[in-house]
Amino acid sequence: MAVFELRPPLTAEERAEKRRLILRDSMALLSLFAITVILGALTYSLFGSFTRHRDVLARRWRANGERALKSGHPKEAIEALRSALEYAPGQRDLEVELAMALAAANRNLEAAAYFNSLLDTQPGNGLIHLQLARLAAKQGNATLAVEHYQRALDGTWEGDGYQRRLSVRLELAGYLISRKNFPQAQSELRTAAGNAPNVPETRLQIARLMEQAQDPADALDIYRVETRRKNASVEALEGAGRTAYELGRIGIARPALARAVNAREFHMQANDVRQPILQMLENSVRILQLYPDPNLPVRALAGRILNDANIARARFSSCFANANASGEMENLRSQWQQIPAKLSVNALEQDPQLEQTTMSLVYDTETQTAQLCGAPTGDDALLLKIAQAPTMVLQP
Amino acid sequence: MIGQTLGRVFSSGNRKGTASALDLSKLAPTRDERLFLVLSIFIGVISGLLVVSFRVAIEWIKILTLGSVPHPGQYRLLFVPALAGVLVAALVQWFFPAARGSGVNQTKAALYIYNGYISFKTVIGKFITSSIAIGAGHSLGPEDPSLQIGAGVASIIARKLGLSRQRLRLFAPIGAAAGLAAAFNAPISAILFVIEEVIGQWSAAVLGSIVLSAISSVVVARHFWGSQPMFRIPAITWRDNRELVAYAALGVIGGLFAFVFSRSLGYLRPRLRALPRWTQFCQPGVAGLLVGVIGFFGFPQVMGSGYEVMDQAMHGQFAWKFLLALAVLKLLATTLSFSSGTPGGMFAPTLFIGAMLGAGVGSFEKLFFPHLTGTVGSYALVGMGVLFAGFLRAPLTSVFMVLEVSGNYSIILPVILANTIAYLLSRALQPIPIFEVFTHQDGMDLPSMEEQREEKPLHIEDALEPLLVPVVKGSDAISSVSEAAAEGRASAFLVQLHDGSWYAMTVEELTGAAAALTAETPVERAVKGDRVPTLFPDMPLDNALPYFPRWPLLPVLNRASRGKLEGVITLSGVLERYHSD
Repeated sequence: MAVFELRPPLTAEERAEKRRLILRDSMALLSLFAITVILGALTYSLFGSFTRHRDVLARRWRANGERALKSGHPKEAIEALRSALEYAPGQRDLEVELAMALAAANRNLEAAAYFNSLLDTQPGNGLIHLQLARLAAKQGNATLAVEHYQRALDGTWEGDGYQRRLSVRLELAGYLISRKNFPQAQSELRTAAGNAPNVPETRLQIARLMEQAQDPADALDIYRVETRRKNASVEALEGAGRTAYELGRIGIARPALARAVNAREFHMQANDVRQPILQMLENSVRILQLYPDPNLPVRALAGRILNDANIARARFSSCFANANASGEMENLRSQWQQIPAKLSVNALEQDPQLEQTTMSLVYDTETQTAQLCGAPTGDDALLLKIAQAPTMVLQP
Repeated sequence: MIGQTLGRVFSSGNRKGTASALDLSKLAPTRDERLFLVLSIFIGVISGLLVVSFRVAIEWIKILTLGSVPHPGQYRLLFVPALAGVLVAALVQWFFPAARGSGVNQTKAALYIYNGYISFKTVIGKFITSSIAIGAGHSLGPEDPSLQIGAGVASIIARKLGLSRQRLRLFAPIGAAAGLAAAFNAPISAILFVIEEVIGQWSAAVLGSIVLSAISSVVVARHFWGSQPMFRIPAITWRDNRELVAYAALGVIGGLFAFVFSRSLGYLRPRLRALPRWTQFCQPGVAGLLVGVIGFFGFPQVMGSGYEVMDQAMHGQFAWKFLLALAVLKLLATTLSFSSGTPGGMFAPTLFIGAMLGAGVGSFEKLFFPHLTGTVGSYALVGMGVLFAGFLRAPLTSVFMVLEVSGNYSIILPVILANTIAYLLSRALQPIPIFEVFTHQDGMDLPSMEEQREEKPLHIEDALEPLLVPVVKGSDAISSVSEAAAEGRASAFLVQLHDGSWYAMTVEELTGAAAALTAETPVERAVKGDRVPTLFPDMPLDNALPYFPRWPLLPVLNRASRGKLEGVITLSGVLERYHSD
């Protein structure tokens, strides 16, 4: 309606005044615009300098925190990382570092709360689950720890997820070993071995853990593969020798140990590392001298059996004299009585059945005297080792 | 400098304008409306820039005085807030007396008492003194000062452009919304707060401009700070319906804390103000020293606005006992800082205490009921809303603030539940809202927005009288109408015209018409050009009052059936209803 409203015409003076009013308002708005631009420039400059300073402070405090964490001063690390986060809020890796520092400082409740909070924002984050697993392990909550380890394995990872998952699996295996949960540890390690890249360090690490998880057979498989590499490491050779020896597969252990001992790096190791290896090599050599290898010429085999029988008979006599009479000892005595007192190479050479009976008695004697008269030493100990798995000694 | 420039540019124009003594409404009748909208954008942008500078100034002062990261045991924590308190007190006492306090009541006073006048000196004073106080560690926040700075910017611009007094009064809330929106980085909350706490009503005249200025200022603030609120909001989850029990408990705890907080301020502030004037020079210094002692002996988190601590609490960085300790100590520190007259706001401390309480409850639940609880951040966020509702008594703003900053609607049930409990509990324990308490302490009597909200205005139906007067049709002859009027012994009667409109005619008017016209003439030819207003029973009774000088009685219509009358109202009936209330 206002559109059609009639207004009295403006006088000339009013028209001039209206023009001046429009000009004034335009000038005022222009001035306001200029002031806004100037204020904007000042704010930009102030904000820019502040932002740069914040970045510098964030970097500085982060470096301090990481340094403190590495040097084992988690309390200082917490303060520094908190400070860094004040100036660089929302940096996920920084937050994880802070939570790790809290955990390292044994502020477990805070660390758990923080990690849980991070997990809420990133459900399924492998790294956070790993940290929660470590925290639970530290608090002795094995069920929760294993659960978080498993979720870490299934979770998402930044960067090389394949490698990170492998390392989590190995950590989980290590944790299970520490909890004496060997079957589950062996299972994890077998999975790890199946997925591991063809990198000697990683494979040797898995083999080492397998040894700790009481799985020398699988460890030996890995070590043997590693020993076939050109310039095989002394660790692989030692590992192969050690596990093969443990399994009684002396035919494999001896050459592996010999190669290890001849390696240049072997002599650079500490004495307490070298000594057991040297001892195993010596034992392996002697076991192969004692072992009645069916591939030996008939006479040599008979001679070796005769030698073993004499060693075992002496061990029996000694044990029989010192130990209390028992059914087992009486049984052994009767068996020894059935063996000719003047057993000879010729007699054994002509009677394969006698050879077999004699060796069987040797193994029984070493096994039972070990139980009744304590651990044997010298050749008796080596015969006992053969007795535990006679067929394994020369198994390829 | 900016103010002086503005003054020079605009005041010259004003002098000329007033000198001409010409009627502006005749020269440019729509000038004010057009300028109103354009200026709202300028106010928003300038307020946004000033608020960004204000916050940066606070951060710079903090780094320069307290160091990049204040730690317990640093001696500077003791003397920096104390010295800053002395400096700020001197500035306030000698140069900027209007900069004292939070800024919300000052803006309301400008609106209701001083016709929207906030001086340039007050804006500068608020900027300088608040940034020094907050930056140096006083336990106060930057939002209320930002609100006052925004209102001041609006007031200066409107004055210098020579807008009418009526417009001038409307500009203060526009600037206030802009300042608060930039400080919060949350435009809806700012708009609601200004409507809920400053102007107290939804006014169509000002709503558009408030929205424009708030959005402009937030655009500026986001250009600098990014789109996130002042604190990073973690993932919000609501896991289990049983969690509502915990949220209800948070509402109760928040309501109790709000009561204690209000009582502490209500007790200490007037007592400190009653002390001799010379003590006002050292009160902020002593308060600063005591706040510094809290920081020195292990809790530097309570110093300053505490946004970074809220952020840390939301992200589960603290254990629940520490969080509760922070809530209690922040309450103490803020009571000291604010009661001493140090310029600075109450919003950030309120949010801080709420966040600590919420995170504390959340962490406790996570510890003891791990399968029931959502994120600690959810509780912290709800806790902020709880104290906002309980202490600042802005229930609507508190709900929308949480929703706006979280950007997550799924948390609405816990927010409404906890906020309502805190609000009702706080109201029951402390009937007078804190801003009103301050107003009374300052010797003013500003309108109470809470009371306004709860007023029960009378409606037309409250004064409705039965239809006892004659009702005739416009086509009826004057003679028959005269008979009906005489029969009804009424001094006035109602005429329904052919277009459905109504006319209330007095007997004198009818007698005059009968003398001039023939008896058969339809009565509608005797009525004047105007018509009675259309009134319905649910309309405010106030709406009817302006019509009584003209009409002897007013018909009240049925909304469902336009031609049907519900009854009438008369001036005597309306006055009687007001007297009886």
